[in-house]
Amino acid sequence: MTANKTFPLLALCLFFCLTQLLADSAEVGSAAVEEIQQILLKLGDKKSSIRKTAIMGLAKYDHPGLEALMNAFKLRQLYVWNDNVVILCPKIEGKTAALQDPLTQEPITDVSGKQFQVTVTELKQIRPGRPERGLAENVKSLFKLFSPDEETQLSGIKRCGEAKTIKGLGKLTDLALEKLDDLATGNQSKKIQRLALESALLIRISRISLDAGSTHLKLVTQLGHTKSQRSQKFLEKSLAQLEKSSALTPQIQRTYQAAIAKIRTYQQFISLLGNLFRGLSLGSVLILMALGLAITFGLMGVINMAHGELMMIGAYTTYVVQLVFAHTPETPNNWYFIFALPASFLMSATIGLLIEFFVVRHLYKRPLESLLATWGVGLILIQMIRLRFGDNIGVNAPSWGRGGIEVIQDLVFPYGRCFIIAICAFSVGAMYYLMRCTKVGLMMRATMQNREMASSLGVNTGFVDRCTFAFGSGIAGIAGYAWTLIGGVTPDMGQTNFIVDSFLVVVTGGVGEIIGVICAGLGIGGLTKTLEPMTGTIWAKILLLIAVVIFIQFKPSGLFAAKGRLADD
Amino acid sequence: MHSLANTADDQLRRNLPLILWVLLGLVVIPVLYIAGVISIGTVNKLGRYLSFALVAIGLDLIWGYAGILGLCQALFFCLGGYAMGMYLAHHGGPEGIIDKTGWKLPACLFVVYPYKVGEVPGDAMVPWFWKPFWSLPNTIFLGLLIPGIFAFIIGYFGFRSRVRGVYFAILTQAITVAAQNFFTMNNMKFGGTNGLTRFAHICIARHPHGADVCQQSALSFDLSTDTVQFTLYLLTTMAIFVTYLLYCYITQTRLGRILVAVRDAENTLRFSGYKPYVYKLFAFILAAVTAGLGGLLYVPQMKIITPYNMGAERSILIVIFVAVGGRGTLSGALVGTLAVNLLYDFLTSFNQPIPLTNMLFPGGLTFAKAWPIVLGLLFLAVVLGYPNGLVKLPQHLLGKFKKAPDSDQIGAHQ
Repeated sequence: MTANKTFPLLALCLFFCLTQLLADSAEVGSAAVEEIQQILLKLGDKKSSIRKTAIMGLAKYDHPGLEALMNAFKLRQLYVWNDNVVILCPKIEGKTAALQDPLTQEPITDVSGKQFQVTVTELKQIRPGRPERGLAENVKSLFKLFSPDEETQLSGIKRCGEAKTIKGLGKLTDLALEKLDDLATGNQSKKIQRLALESALLIRISRISLDAGSTHLKLVTQLGHTKSQRSQKFLEKSLAQLEKSSALTPQIQRTYQAAIAKIRTYQQFISLLGNLFRGLSLGSVLILMALGLAITFGLMGVINMAHGELMMIGAYTTYVVQLVFAHTPETPNNWYFIFALPASFLMSATIGLLIEFFVVRHLYKRPLESLLATWGVGLILIQMIRLRFGDNIGVNAPSWGRGGIEVIQDLVFPYGRCFIIAICAFSVGAMYYLMRCTKVGLMMRATMQNREMASSLGVNTGFVDRCTFAFGSGIAGIAGYAWTLIGGVTPDMGQTNFIVDSFLVVVTGGVGEIIGVICAGLGIGGLTKTLEPMTGTIWAKILLLIAVVIFIQFKPSGLFAAKGRLADD
Repeated sequence: MHSLANTADDQLRRNLPLILWVLLGLVVIPVLYIAGVISIGTVNKLGRYLSFALVAIGLDLIWGYAGILGLCQALFFCLGGYAMGMYLAHHGGPEGIIDKTGWKLPACLFVVYPYKVGEVPGDAMVPWFWKPFWSLPNTIFLGLLIPGIFAFIIGYFGFRSRVRGVYFAILTQAITVAAQNFFTMNNMKFGGTNGLTRFAHICIARHPHGADVCQQSALSFDLSTDTVQFTLYLLTTMAIFVTYLLYCYITQTRLGRILVAVRDAENTLRFSGYKPYVYKLFAFILAAVTAGLGGLLYVPQMKIITPYNMGAERSILIVIFVAVGGRGTLSGALVGTLAVNLLYDFLTSFNQPIPLTNMLFPGGLTFAKAWPIVLGLLFLAVVLGYPNGLVKLPQHLLGKFKKAPDSDQIGAHQ
């Protein structure tokens, strides 16, 4: 090949380019880069101890490219070229290889801008042994501490506190400790400070033996103050070990137990809050579902079993809008989520209108018959959707819907669930406004109270019914839209998950009362999510049902029953 | 003389459906089978449909007569079914193991046994609640008693606090869904999603619980033989016959009239000094026991029972049987069950896609795929179009035919 013939010239040229590039790209001086290159050469040494020292030696430099370099080292992508320079070569095809800079991962180019190609025979692969790979992995977490990216830094901080890493880093822990202390007291975000402090404490306590007496116990108490689950696990484990040995004195045991108890109380409190929040968001979806049900039942005396399917339609509309906007997790197009809101409302409202016109209108005040007929409608809708779209579809949340806010330590409120609560509050507000402050709402309430009287006073009751039904259906569509953020979408989602629960909300809350629906929805949602971690999903459902049955024994017509003339017999 | 003839005529007309059914079920079908016109497969299928019909008759009593829409009939059916299933699994095939106490762990439970941490297959035990179902008389007794007890609990708390109408329907549906989830859980040791299966024998003789005693006994019958299946069909038909007679009797007594009063004017009934909930409870329990009987007869014919059978949609399906046949007429429940099931059989026998459906659905639509849609349309048609059901259809058509001369006669008398 040509590379062989022109080798001396090319090598010179390359070496020049390489050092130049490294010097340009790195913030550290070119002197440091040259030093790094020298150390890198030792990575290829035959002796394991020299290779290890080389890795340790790298830790001195806080160059941001070192972490990636360690990765390449582990993946055997580093090569020594002609015994004098280490280069990176991720992929070798055929007999030639394209070269990259090991620190910046940028392609090495010659003067004309073409990437250097050399023959494979000139390269010698650096093959790390098992211990070096382990060491490299640990050193990587050390390098992460210096990363400018906060996420990477956080994961590095976390890793540095693990018992395995502490052991693997050996002497380098001093370096990690120094940096962690910096981070814990510096002006970083609260989360970084907290985690750095915790990791630093974990490193310190693992290096101080029990003989240190009060210093050790002080660290234990400090770990207790961090209130983190990791500290709890560590403390529990060391206490168990201590109990086996003879070194355990009552004072040590007391200190340990006090620290563990402190963390446990906090974590239980946090998990209770988290469950309540999840219950709040589930309750919001239930409220959205039950609003339409309660109002149509109060207004027309019909039960709409296809209400769950209207929710499903809302979720599928969101899916279709996502397809139209070509939103995928890789190429996000978050506009789809904004357009999906009115789309799912309108779609469900239209289908609700059709159901009202063809089916429900003929079944006024015949709830049992309406139950059966709308169940039939539900069957048809489910099967149509299943045949058209298949059984499992993926609605991808918009990219801002992932993640959450950490309100206090370890308590994260996911954005998706926050959004659902907001949407629910907005819809309830809109409903309330519609019912209380508009003319349509006035007519609606009049029809609900006394249909004949309202009709004879000139209210077009048929029109009012249709509006109410469509509006209730649209809100169910919004419930489906919101659900795509936190749950799976299947054709029978309404029938299996929601219709029974939302009816329980209506039954508990009382018919035709918004306030009853809200209280019952939040109550049932909260209870479900509080019970679930304790008893498992199915027992939670059964217990909830028993609770509702007992509740009905005392309040047969719900929390906020219609009184006086409005009450049926 | 005139009035006497009239009552005799009435009696005949009232009992005509019964006589026809007995003739069809106990004479025509067996004769056709013995003559070789219909296969054992068809007889078996009819037997299964008739076990559903038992559930439907029970529902007809509570819904058609007493106006209670209970959506947990499928649960009662499955309670009976699981009782029989456990009995048959005990005497099932040779797979499975003998546990430490000498009981044979049935194959269907052994496969999905929920081991605790550290347990090995040798530690699997037959659960205590499987043990009463070792003998056939116990199984039948419990298969009827357990649905009755459940119905009592649900009904007592439901009816006493005057939960009625839609509320009762939703409540019972919620109970059914919860029960289905319960039976689906693997660690409840009811076979999980797979349900109970791998049945082999029905054993009539009493014998100690052990490995293969059953298969050697002279009084054990292989479930897969034609004779056993035919006998099961005859048993189902006779069960229907007896139930039908009992229900006819009940609906014609004072009790039946009170049930109708519950349906039409419950408050009036209460103000007249009756306790409606007692009568409702009685009807509800009776219907549950009948459903349990249906389950007991269904399982040996179907040879499998899974939690799917107790889903909410199954309960609603029973309602549609009654609605199609005609609620408030006992023969309607029978007719409806057979009609819907035979329609299903007929439609799903086509494999070709329905013409024009490929415009909307990729690959077109076969009737098998479209069955839920057909069922949904059936719901709509029955509720909106013709609430009286199939049983009244001939009368209705005949009535239209006869109406003109009848009114003429009345006019002539006057």
